Order: sequence, then structure tokens, then C-alpha cells
Amino acid sequence: MLHKIIKTTALSGALLFSISIAQAGSLENLERERAIAIETMLSPSLKAEERLDRAMISKRRLVDLERMVIRDKKLAQNNTPIVRTAFENYNLTFLVHASTEANKTLLDHWLEEIGVSTHSLGTARIGRR
Amino acid sequence: MIDKNVSLWRDRGILPLVQVLPLLAILMTGVAMPTSNAIAASPNWSPKISERLIKLPSVHLKRAIDSDFKDSTLANAIGDTADEVSAKTKTVSELKEAMERAEGSLATELRHQALVEKQNLIKLMGTRQDLKKKHLKTKVRLYKRLLRKANNKTGVQNASSAELKENQAKARNRFKRTLTDVDMKLFRSSTTTESKYSKDYIKNSSAIDRLASAINSHPMNSLPEIDGRVVGKADFLRQLVAGAESELAILNQEESILGYMAKLVALDAMALSEGLDAENFNEEIEGDESRTGASDKIDLFVS
Repeated sequence: MLHKIIKTTALSGALLFSISIAQAGSLENLERERAIAIETMLSPSLKAEERLDRAMISKRRLVDLERMVIRDKKLAQNNTPIVRTAFENYNLTFLVHASTEANKTLLDHWLEEIGVSTHSLGTARIGRR
Repeated sequence: MIDKNVSLWRDRGILPLVQVLPLLAILMTGVAMPTSNAIAASPNWSPKISERLIKLPSVHLKRAIDSDFKDSTLANAIGDTADEVSAKTKTVSELKEAMERAEGSLATELRHQALVEKQNLIKLMGTRQDLKKKHLKTKVRLYKRLLRKANNKTGVQNASSAELKENQAKARNRFKRTLTDVDMKLFRSSTTTESKYSKDYIKNSSAIDRLASAINSHPMNSLPEIDGRVVGKADFLRQLVAGAESELAILNQEESILGYMAKLVALDAMALSEGLDAENFNEEIEGDESRTGASDKIDLFVS
């Protein structure tokens, strides 16, 4: 009987531990969703209409997630490289809000932020590395 | 001769006084010495700094510390000693009144008793002071630790934390400017509706605002004041440290008063002892002179 109780307690303890590990912060959720959004926009396997629909869903989610990050008071006490980098690069972290501010589409804004513009693509040459 | 004196002192009730004199002499050297030894195994108050205590508003902080002290054995001991001191004070004043009315050997006996009681009173007052000092020193230590923690939480931060906070503030300001734009472009101009998060956030936000304003205007949440001026937690704690330290300084001053009291009691005891000695000596001299006066013998040498 005692052995069973100890086993159950250990299991529930492990479960609690795994739950606490599995809990991601608001910033991690935003980064995951942003990665999915960019992947969707760049995916060559999607049709234009399908891409637009998926991008719209992602955008809506990103709006909420960006607002969650900016309102997250716990991040102020969490001085980690991820948090520091996120707030140093506002234009990339808060992609939807920054693109609206710049009056550009999400993809255009992102490409510009990472240094890929229409001009740079037009002047690019195919070559071997 | 000595045996005669001892029996005479015993008859007059002075012997206990003579035995007490060495103790009084010790008292003259300082009252703190015997009491601090007695305190070694004495009651204690060891407050713990919990996270709850650190987060408490300044006004409640002091109240919580005082209430924690009240439950300690040190507080009980201080209370008990205070009762004993008042009882002893009453005894001494009663003896003093009785001494004024008494005469002869009874007056001497009462003087002796009064001196012994005074000595006990000084000892008790010394004990009480040591306990109070212990309380104040613990309080100062506690306030200083709380002050250190408060400073760590608010003022003192490294450069990267400060930079992060600055970046966050900038981001928030920039974000605020685009909030309406995003809502307009994303939700109003299309068929998509506001998300559940947005709706619930607005609803909860107004509820939080109402609650926050109620908390801010609550009388129990009033900020601490020093000389009618509202001060922060760190300032309030510094004020508490200064208050406790000034009380300690006063206690040190009172310790010297106790020293003077002890010296006075010792001098009184010496005066009592010497007075009795002189009385006995005069009686002996008078007796001897009546029997063997030098002037009576002159006639033996002068014819």
C-alpha cells in the first residue's frame, strides 16, 4: 500500500514538473507563430489563394500574440538574451504592428528587415559560392 | 573585638547588610555586567524575512513586524520584567515612607531593606534594558535587511536590465500608436471579427482599472508619511532604522543613569555601615574613657 502511495506521489510530481517545463512564455509563442507565418508566406507548395487564407489566420493570431508580449509584465524581470534581442529588434518581433506602421505588407516588411528588397533581388546575379 | 562587633551587628540586624556590601561594590563598577550573563540563556526574537513581508505595503510592514514581536518570548520577557520593576518600585517607595516614620534600630533595619530592594530594582532595570536593547538591535538588523532587499528590487539594477526596460518602454509607446491602426486595417475593413483575446482583454482591463482605483483610494492602502509628506518604501524603512537607532542611543544613556543609581546605593550602604561603626566606636570610647581616662591618671604621676 505504502509502495503504491510513494509511486503515485512520484508520478504526480514528475507530471507537475513536465507541465511546468511544457509551459512556454508569451515571447516563445509569438516566435513560433511568426516562424509559421513566414514559412506559410514563403512556401512554394501553396496556391496563392490558400496562402492568403493561411496568412490571414496567422496574422490574426500574431496580432494577439504581439499584444500579449507587449503587455507581459514578467518579461521585464526576465533579462535573458532572447528577451533582450526581441526588444532590440522591434520591427522583426512585432511584425504585424510594425508592418502596419510602415504601411507595407507583412512579407514585404519582413524581407526588407532582413535585407532583401526588390532592388537587391533585381540586381542579384546567379553564381557559385 | 571583632566578635563583639559581629554580635552587635547581628543584634541590630546589620549583619545581612555587611554581607551585601561586596555586592554593592560590584554594582559600582557597572550594572550591565551581571545582567548580560543572565541574558545569555534568555528569551529570543528571531524574525524571518519572507517574500510576503517584503511585498507588504510600508504601513502594514511595521504592523506585521510589531505583531510578530508581540508573539515572541522576548516580548513576554520584557512585559514580565516591566511588571516586576513596577512592583519593586512600589516596594522601595513604601519602604522609604516607612523609613521616614521609623526610629532607632527599626529605622536602620528599614534602611538596610531599602538598600537591598534598591539593588534588586537596579538589577531588574538592567535586565529590562538588556532585553529592550536586544529587541531594538534585532529590529535595526531586520529593517536594514529589508532596506537592502527593497533597494535591490527597485533602485539598484545593472546596465543591461536598465537597457531592457528602456527598450520595453520604447516598444510600448510605439505599439500604442499603431494599436488603432492595426484594429482598423485588420478587423474593421474586412470580414474578420475581433479575437476572443481582444474582447476579453478589454473587458478585464476595465474591471482591473476599476479595482485598481478602488485599491488606490482605500484608506488601508494609504502611503506612509513622514512629517506630512508621502514617502517611498526605502525612505520609510530608513526612517524606521533611524527611529530604532535613536531608541538604542536613549537606552545607552539610561544605562549610565542606572550606573549612577548603583553608585548612589553603594554610597548609601557605605554611609549606613560607617554610621553604625562610628556609633559603636563612640560607645566603646565613651565606656573606656569612663574607666581609664588619661586625665584621671595624672594624679598618679604628680605628687
